[in-house]
Amino acid sequence: MVVGLLLLSLCFTSSANAAGFSFFSRKPDGPAIYKQQCAKCHGPAGQGVKGKYTDPLVGDWSLEKLTRYIAKTMPEDKPGSCTGPHADAVARYIHDTFYSREARARAQTARVELVRLTNRQHLLSVADLFRATGEEPKVTAGKGLQAAGYKSARGTRREDRALDRTDRKIEFDFGTDRPQWAGEGTNGFALHWSGSVIADETGEHEFVVKAANGIRLWVNDDDKPLIDGSVSSAKGIEHRAGIRLIGGRAYPIRLEFFKAARDKIANVALLWQPPHGALQVIPARNLAPERATPTFILTTPFPADDSSVGYERGVSISKEWDEAVTHAAIEVATHAAKHLDRLTRGKASDSDRATKVEAFCAEFVTRAFRRPLTDEQRNLFVTQPLRSAAKLEDGVKRVVLLTLKSPRFLYLGLEGAGAQPDDFTVAERLSFGLWDSLPDTALTKAAAEGKLRTREQVAEQARRMLADARTRGKMQYFLHRWLQMNHIEDLTKDPSVFPGFTPEIIADLRTSLNLFLDDVVWTESSDYRRLLLEDDFFVNGRLAKFYGVTTEAAEDFTRVQLDPKQRSGVITHPYLLAAFSYNKSSSPIHRGVFLTRNIVGRALRPPPMAIAFKDGDFKPGMTMREKITELTRPQACQSCHSVINPLGFSLENFDAVGRFRDKDGNRPINAAADYTTDDGGIVRLKGARDIAEFAVKSEHAHNAFVEQLFSQVVKQPMPAYGPDVLNQLRLSFVQSGYNIQKLLVDIATVSALQGTEKPASTTKKKT
Amino acid sequence: MNALHRRTFLKQAGLSAATLPFITGLPSLGLAAPARPRQRLVFMFSPNGTIPAAYWPDAAGTDFQLKEIMTPLAAFKDRMLVLNGVNNKVRGDGDSHMRGMSCLLTGIELFPGNIMGGGGQPAGWASGISIDQEIKNHLQKSEDTRTRFGSLEFGVGVTDRADPWTRMSYAGANKPIAPISDPYQMYEKLYGQMKDKENLQSVLDTVKGDLQKVGKLISAVDRRLLEEHQALVRQMEKEIASASQKPLRAAPPTLNEGVADQNDNLPRLSRMQIDLLVNSFVNDMCRVATLQFTKSVGMARMNWLDIKDGHHSLSHEPDGNAEAVAKLTKINKWFAGELAYLVQKLSTTPEPGGEGMMLDHTLIVWTNELGKGNTHTLANIPFLLVGGAPGFKMGRSLQLENVAHNRLHLALAHALGHRLETFGKASLCDGGPLKLG
Repeated sequence: MVVGLLLLSLCFTSSANAAGFSFFSRKPDGPAIYKQQCAKCHGPAGQGVKGKYTDPLVGDWSLEKLTRYIAKTMPEDKPGSCTGPHADAVARYIHDTFYSREARARAQTARVELVRLTNRQHLLSVADLFRATGEEPKVTAGKGLQAAGYKSARGTRREDRALDRTDRKIEFDFGTDRPQWAGEGTNGFALHWSGSVIADETGEHEFVVKAANGIRLWVNDDDKPLIDGSVSSAKGIEHRAGIRLIGGRAYPIRLEFFKAARDKIANVALLWQPPHGALQVIPARNLAPERATPTFILTTPFPADDSSVGYERGVSISKEWDEAVTHAAIEVATHAAKHLDRLTRGKASDSDRATKVEAFCAEFVTRAFRRPLTDEQRNLFVTQPLRSAAKLEDGVKRVVLLTLKSPRFLYLGLEGAGAQPDDFTVAERLSFGLWDSLPDTALTKAAAEGKLRTREQVAEQARRMLADARTRGKMQYFLHRWLQMNHIEDLTKDPSVFPGFTPEIIADLRTSLNLFLDDVVWTESSDYRRLLLEDDFFVNGRLAKFYGVTTEAAEDFTRVQLDPKQRSGVITHPYLLAAFSYNKSSSPIHRGVFLTRNIVGRALRPPPMAIAFKDGDFKPGMTMREKITELTRPQACQSCHSVINPLGFSLENFDAVGRFRDKDGNRPINAAADYTTDDGGIVRLKGARDIAEFAVKSEHAHNAFVEQLFSQVVKQPMPAYGPDVLNQLRLSFVQSGYNIQKLLVDIATVSALQGTEKPASTTKKKT
Repeated sequence: MNALHRRTFLKQAGLSAATLPFITGLPSLGLAAPARPRQRLVFMFSPNGTIPAAYWPDAAGTDFQLKEIMTPLAAFKDRMLVLNGVNNKVRGDGDSHMRGMSCLLTGIELFPGNIMGGGGQPAGWASGISIDQEIKNHLQKSEDTRTRFGSLEFGVGVTDRADPWTRMSYAGANKPIAPISDPYQMYEKLYGQMKDKENLQSVLDTVKGDLQKVGKLISAVDRRLLEEHQALVRQMEKEIASASQKPLRAAPPTLNEGVADQNDNLPRLSRMQIDLLVNSFVNDMCRVATLQFTKSVGMARMNWLDIKDGHHSLSHEPDGNAEAVAKLTKINKWFAGELAYLVQKLSTTPEPGGEGMMLDHTLIVWTNELGKGNTHTLANIPFLLVGGAPGFKMGRSLQLENVAHNRLHLALAHALGHRLETFGKASLCDGGPLKLG
């Protein structure tokens, strides 16, 4: 965990002579005062001065609060010398010229920038390049895998087939017995499981098969086994193999298990360790009896995207990136050449092979470029490279290399930039907005038919696309960033203080939170307020036991209602409470900063100095609240901590693993605190629920949510879409009953239509 | 290496280190003389035991006569070390073929498992790493002995099946390594990137032109990014060009097209694999290699020698069957001929950047999973060493007294600079490395 930080902000210093104020008898001149007294340290336009006060003067305090602050603390070396009408005038100037959000929006010449694909977009686009055009098989997670049992170890003969059923998980120990369905005999027996495995999150998945008998496992590849454990060991072997999977998608899986007559015992278990997860038997909710089609997943590592503005965006390129792109292109080219027969639905001996391959290549390039090819382009990207190589396979490799290194694949909005965006640009914006990937056939068709012209047409496509698993993937991507779950690597706590807070519990908590988020977002009401107010949580038996919840849940997660006086939505979810905590204790600062920025939507400047929280510095017996109060007592800290601390303190009823508590050590918890709103008002918070109640009614909080979703979806600066777009989106969000799905459709639609001639939108203005 | 570990490796190596050789060609081959002379080790395997009377020289010492099977190696007699009396003493589960094969380089028991052989208890994989991999890991640890692959596992006609009869190299317990039997696949592994480079080179011009073209579609502010991109493409072009100017020490061998992986092609496949093996040594891609002919219980039908029977069936014939003995002698002699081809190549290729010929710095161990086919004995396993290594005095035939083959492995490790105290089953290492100097 990072250290606790003191946040110091809005620190003016004056020039030596501040006496000038008293000589003014006429109305004080804001700009003049600023120039004379403030600019030296804060810069002529509030941008900051290196070596003095480096941070720009920006924030979200109301004019009144800013005035009070200046009157009380500024100039730094002579506080109290700029008061009354003087403070009024200079505060108004600062506020309206560069400090407030509105001022910044006015001053900014925000525009939609040319960007390359982000790493996630690149990964998903390549996967979708090889996606079959037909219907994806419908896969219903939660049922487990289809099982077929055979009366002999060979397990291939139809007459030996003795069992058909669905198994919710693969974890069997037959001991020395023969299962009943295998009948009498000494032949051995076999079990084959097949279906799909559904990945929750993107990343490396380690598959583990434990068996005392022969096994083979295929994952996301129908031909080559991920694990070939045909040779067994009587002691049991733990077979392991890793594979990268993209979250939210289904992959074909097949496990063959065979007990030979001579094997004394029989057992088998199918486990995995997913990203952020613990090693566990693959649960039923990640398994489906239907078989999905394989997905091509790149393994080339890419250098991290720029996320300095809070969202990943492709605004810069580097040598490392160019090399990764090339490496990836070679990986894709090798794949295409190797599987050319399957991809072209032909074989090497076909007389029309060259024609088939050329057609495949043309289709491949068209998909990659997201628009039909001109004759010239077809010649350049397909015909020429195919002809340039002696072998057809090398020709295909050249087409793929050329395509995946082409700016037409690598950059978004190339054809739309500067000119009038056409239908295919609208389609591209929509699919990258909702999926981070290429348009599908239906969307491309709509573009080709000119059916992406009106706001209603575009919104209709967006609504259709909501049902696709890729939208869920994108939504999860946003939610994980909103809740900072993507940064959480290690939640381990001091085991002497929190025994039993195991990697399994931590993994379960993440699952619990994911299930909760999915449940709220993907029900019809899709109500943002439920994210903050809900007192239902998902627990399994292990979590229930650790958190003292009464439920019948065992392995599967079920929903339980908790005490609404204690729990209130995501902000009281133990996963986040534990994440925003120290190793041994809660951290009101981390919790408070998270609540300030992400939930109630207030801006905080990065702390100009970092001070570590050291528990040993405090007298024994102090509560965490007392320690933080003392630590942040200096006036310099208070400008931010007067906001952060009350929010953090109101979660003090939760310890470092998110359990509810009445006491901190031997002392009773005091979770009541006065929160100062942006316009200077005071809200009395008595606990977590009060923060949630405050946030769901706060325009600031709504704005923050809308803005964060917009940023993660569109990956462009919001002001580029018009000064009023935030306001309009928020109004429509409120009107819809805070419907997140509708907000997503709105955002996708607005951004897709940006710059088109006739925006039929009322919420859309030309920049 | 599975995907997970490969990526961990890439991460450790740094992205650039991982991608660059891929693009610009092969590791630097401007081979200056190495700090220490290179030392290589090859295990060549042929199956089903030998014909002792036609294999073992009668005399011990430096003055010995080669028997029929070894005659193809006559020119290299002074480079040979014949080791009689080395036994595979590993017992436990598995039949003699299985233990003969999977304990040959591991020197440790098999796990009990589900593979039932011609006798003994059913068994699984070996319970430890093999000596070739142990040595390879050691060499890969330090900068001056590290090579691109460390080790390469060549196969000739190895059945496409994974069981204790087909695997002698192990990365660890239960971790058999499959040899690559298809020379084209091996070629792809060694030189595939050169073709990739050529393909890449062929498209870069178009990429540049395309960047230029799309640059015109966009505003001047945005064009900066594309200009940067163009510069990167130009830079890559230059790097590829300069890498191409550093030629490989040895150009990849030209493989005949379309030699299918099937019985009657074994002679051609063998030569293709040996050519690739020597080539990979010249280009210093690895220091350790295995060359596995078929497998334990291998059933090669050597029609090219006019032998219509399968090798393993023949090997079960009693000593009294003179015809079978003659055929088996012929078969083993053929393997010796393949070894001679390898030795010949190494003896005529100068050591890159070093002194002498490659054979001076290469020790080849030709071995077998059995001492004799019709008894299935694991005693007197044919161990013939050819070439050179520090601490090995060649040109001799030695009669050893019932020594465990683990001790030979220790000696090999020491010769390659890996000073192991025990290897495989520790109790079989008593007496330490065999003294062969």
